[in-house]
Amino acid sequence: MKRLIEIVEKAKSLGRRTRIAVALAEDANTIGAICRATKEGFIHPVLIGDKHRIECLLEAQGLPLSETEIIDIKEPAQATKEAVRMVRDGEADVLMKGLVGTDQFLREVLNKERGLLPPKAVMSYACALELPKYHKLLIISDTAVLPTPDFSQKLAMVNYSVKMAHTLGIEKPKVALISATEKVSPGMPNTLDYALLCKMADRGQIKGCTIDGPLDVFLACDKEAVATKGVPTPIDGDADILIFPNLETANAFYKGLMLFGGGELAGLIQGTTKPVVVMSRSESENSKYYCIALSCLMAEET
Amino acid sequence: MEIRKLDQMFEVLKQREKKRLVAAWAVDEHTILAVNDAVNMGIVEGILVGDKKTIETICAQKRVDCKKLTIVDVDNDVEAAAKAVEMINNKEGDFLMKGLLSTDRYMRAILNKEKGLMNPGAVLSHVTVAEPSTYHKLIIFGDVAIIPEPDLAQKIQITNYLIRVANFLGIERPKVGLQAPSEQVLPKVRSSAEAAIISKMAERGQIKNAIVDGPLGLDLIIDAESAKIKGMKGEVLGDADCILFANIEAGNTFYKTVVKLVKSELCAIVMGARVPCVLTSRGDSERSKLYSIALAAMMAY
Repeated sequence: MKRLIEIVEKAKSLGRRTRIAVALAEDANTIGAICRATKEGFIHPVLIGDKHRIECLLEAQGLPLSETEIIDIKEPAQATKEAVRMVRDGEADVLMKGLVGTDQFLREVLNKERGLLPPKAVMSYACALELPKYHKLLIISDTAVLPTPDFSQKLAMVNYSVKMAHTLGIEKPKVALISATEKVSPGMPNTLDYALLCKMADRGQIKGCTIDGPLDVFLACDKEAVATKGVPTPIDGDADILIFPNLETANAFYKGLMLFGGGELAGLIQGTTKPVVVMSRSESENSKYYCIALSCLMAEET
Repeated sequence: MEIRKLDQMFEVLKQREKKRLVAAWAVDEHTILAVNDAVNMGIVEGILVGDKKTIETICAQKRVDCKKLTIVDVDNDVEAAAKAVEMINNKEGDFLMKGLLSTDRYMRAILNKEKGLMNPGAVLSHVTVAEPSTYHKLIIFGDVAIIPEPDLAQKIQITNYLIRVANFLGIERPKVGLQAPSEQVLPKVRSSAEAAIISKMAERGQIKNAIVDGPLGLDLIIDAESAKIKGMKGEVLGDADCILFANIEAGNTFYKTVVKLVKSELCAIVMGARVPCVLTSRGDSERSKLYSIALAAMMAY
């Protein structure tokens, strides 16, 4: 896949409407993306929040009320609780954040008794980037949830990203473990974790991918750099997935790209029993639309 | 020439210019006879540092021809060790051997910061070369005697020592197995995690002149059949030249098993100083002492 629109095509081809419960569906961006996906026939939205406000927004988008389900709960915490409950009880397939604050939203997702994270599971974040200068989609993790992933969290990030790649039809994704250099050095503890991950893959303890690291972004994504540097790596400048050592690096990487290079992205929370869409309020309608499509594909897998 | 049997070292050394062995506090018959054997065989020149009268008395008793040996007269063990080390530093000798003094005093002379034989940052480690009757080649392994719980940095150094010994024995690209409980990477088991790290470092060319794999159980390292049963593939499996042991207990137990339960010839040296150091114990066979001297002489080139 080269473009995120292909994810939408794939979601449409599923031939079913994925049920998406939106917590506090009261912002124009979210409703805009939801309406677009509904009109194109691949989702059935359950909009939770202030009924009157939601209806006004839907009207502005020209979506008939009959194509949606609205649950009138005005209080944000209660609206979120209800959305999570619906997904947990199988009344919806995907959970999406609306105008509610991220902290409040995630607190409900993480709730031990009534949340969506299995016991001991690692919650992380992965997103697919469409980049004008790269020859295919690039999945990266973790740009949003884990500040300084430890070894087992890195392992979880790899497995989640690989699963996302499989969902996108990439059979044996190439996973690059990103650092500043390709050298393994005790002074850079992340590189030691990477060495372990590589060896685990060698030994069949991580499946379904080709993995190498530490590598810098050049060796991961640029064939010419690989040739120039002469570092033999099975990733060979053709990575499908970049795993970053920490949140700051991953976050700066994608924001820098979006700002200076252009592009689009679609991301999802990882580790939950059902897909969870969390986009910041500032994210474009387009990005939200792609996220919704991606969540439909991932919902098929869970 | 690749050395496949320990006695092939003698043939190689006879062809070369002789290296000068300096034996510290060589005032016992074990040391004097071992040096004398090596000199008579034509593989080294022998310098005995110790009390001249005692050395001459033993030589007379054991019918050793003193004239073939150089005697440096020093009257106690600590000074003898210091003198022997000084001779090495003055290029009056090429490698060191321990005589009757305690291992502790011998090491202290080597490790002395101003007058010793250490380069900054270097680690002293013990390397054994065994020729077990039941294995198809020599096995070079460590550390069975000096570093109890090597950390990652020390393991990297020890791995490099093993490779260097293999290279000097003519094995150009030795296969190194990193011993751990099993081939599975167990992140919480230190030996397993460190083996994975070292093996990746070798892949990146940070450890050179070798093929390195680990973690591996000992069975997979030395027995091709075990690897076959497990369906594992790798160049090191069942064909290792070198083994890095997880710690001293594992290494020492292997060493003693190889000596006592398997018919094996073996020898050892201490690596990490500016020159190779021989550290035989009185319990070693005559043959084994001779091999250790030969190994040190090989490494002194």
